[in-house]
This record gives sequence, C-alpha cells and structure tokens, in this order.
Amino acid sequence: MEALFIWIENSPLSLWVRGESGWHMAFPIIIVFHALGMGFLVGVALAINGRVLGLAPGVPLTRLHAFIPVAVIALIVNAISGVLLLIGYPTKALTNPVFYIKLLCIALALWNLRWFTKTVLTNTAYDSGNMPLSIKRLAVISTGLWASAIIAGRLLAYTYNHIMSI
Amino acid sequence: MLETISDWLQSTWLSHAFISQGLWAWPMSESLHFIGLCLLVGSVGLVDLRMLGMAKGISVSALHKLIPFGVAGYLLNVITGSLFVVGDADQYIFNDAFRFKMLFMFIAGINVLFFYSTAFQQTKLLGPNDEMPLPVKIMAGVSLACWIGIICAGRLITFYRP
Repeated sequence: MEALFIWIENSPLSLWVRGESGWHMAFPIIIVFHALGMGFLVGVALAINGRVLGLAPGVPLTRLHAFIPVAVIALIVNAISGVLLLIGYPTKALTNPVFYIKLLCIALALWNLRWFTKTVLTNTAYDSGNMPLSIKRLAVISTGLWASAIIAGRLLAYTYNHIMSI
Repeated sequence: MLETISDWLQSTWLSHAFISQGLWAWPMSESLHFIGLCLLVGSVGLVDLRMLGMAKGISVSALHKLIPFGVAGYLLNVITGSLFVVGDADQYIFNDAFRFKMLFMFIAGINVLFFYSTAFQQTKLLGPNDEMPLPVKIMAGVSLACWIGIICAGRLITFYRP
C-alpha cells in the first residue's frame, strides 16, 4: 500500500494539487469548489428532506425534482474535487479511519437521495398529502448522514495519522 | 486601531474559554459553520434559483416557508463565526479573504433588506408558474452571487493567514 501512496504522491498531478509544481492556488481553488459543491448538494438534499418532513407543505413535492440537476452538478463537482484532493494527499486520507466514515455516510446519503428522486419525487400522490412514516424516517436518517459526513470531513484536518509517505 | 481591537478581543473571557476548550471546540464549531452554510444554500439559495426562473410549479410563497431554516443556519454561523474571530482575532482582522467575505455579507445584507422592504409583498402574491419581474430577478441574482462569494472567500481565509 505504501508503494502505491509513494507512486501517487510523486505523480505530476499530485504535485500540482499540492502546489509543488510552481502554482500555489490549485489546492485552495479545489477546496473552494469542494465547499460550494457541498453547499448545493447538501442544500438541495436538506430542502427535500424538509419538505418530506412537512416543512413548506405548499411546495408540490414532485416539483422539487427541478432542483435535482443542481444536486447532480454539485455531486460531479465534489467527486472531481474530492478525487483531486485524494490524489494530492492519498496517505493522509486513506490511513485515517474517519475518511472511510465520511465516504460511508456520503454513499448511504446519496443512495437515499437517488431513491427519493426515483420513487418519492415522481409520485404525485405525495404532492399535497401527508407522507408515510417510513419515508419521513428516511428523511431524518438522511439529514443525520449528511451532517455526519460534514463533521467527519472537517475532522479530517485534525485526526490524520500520517500526512505523506514520501 | 485594528490591532487594539484584535488584542482586546483575544484578551476577553470568551476568547480564552473558546481556545482553552482545546481539542474539540474549534473543529466542532467549524462543522456547525458548514452545516449552517448548507441550511442557507438549501433555503435562501433555492428561493433565489426559483426567482431566477428555475423550478416553475413552485410558488415563491410556498418555498419561502424554508427561509426560517436559512435564518437558523445564518444565526448558527454568526455565533460560530464570531467565536472564530474572538478566539483568534489576529488571523481574521488582518486577513484579505475575511475582509472580502465581510464585504459580500454586507452587500447581501443590504440586498435582503431592500428586497423585503420593496418587492417581497408582491412577489408573495405571484403564482406557481409566474415569471418574476426583472428587479426581483436582479435581487435574486445579487443574493446568490453574494452567498457564493461568501462561501469562496470564507473557505480561502485559511490560505490568507497574515
């Protein structure tokens, strides 16, 4: 594993992310995109969860589908920026258990968002009526998962064991 | 003058209390600051997008019911943000990224006061499929641009430490 980390950390892309190839703004700009993507992805997810839980009951649930492309673009931005950050500091992330907790939370929350998008946001019966308890429960769990992902992500800056293998 | 303010902030009881909490107070406040950010984007940001023409079929008045959660996020971020500034005043008061963030917040503040004192009452009466009048679209655009600017400048603070 360490050999792989060393190989990645010596690659031109990794050096570029860390600002070691002359341009120091790559890392800050990638981080900025990661924060913006978080805001829009989690923002849309929280709005959907809020509506499912009965906040803003006048919003027809199926119409919230129009914001899904915003969440998808934000997800793509964060997948790309996240992979770039990982290429910059593979040892730092992959030797920290908190990183896997973050990824697990995101995977489960995205799975839930996809299911909501396909099943709940397409069912016009939910537009004005009350939601089944099982779906409300999922909205609460999803909100908890997004919050956990954010907390775990922030803690990555404080809980790492090794920064680099080289 | 700024140095006096910075020194004074860092000499306060609150500053010492926040910093001496040691390991957890700062990272957890940062996490809450990010969660507040998401609440703001998920409410104010979505209302801005609707006013700009996205998500027809939802009336602004219905979507506006999410705004209290954005206000909650805003308050959460004012509290946690103030703790950062009081806790480590030097790192913020002399920081260009922080100054830009405050500038964007000031513009967003003027913009939101202007919106609620002029266009909001009529905007609330518009139907789910209505297009917003141009001034409303401009205010929504300013709001969205400011919040994006606030997030960008805020995230850059750590790279512009004096």
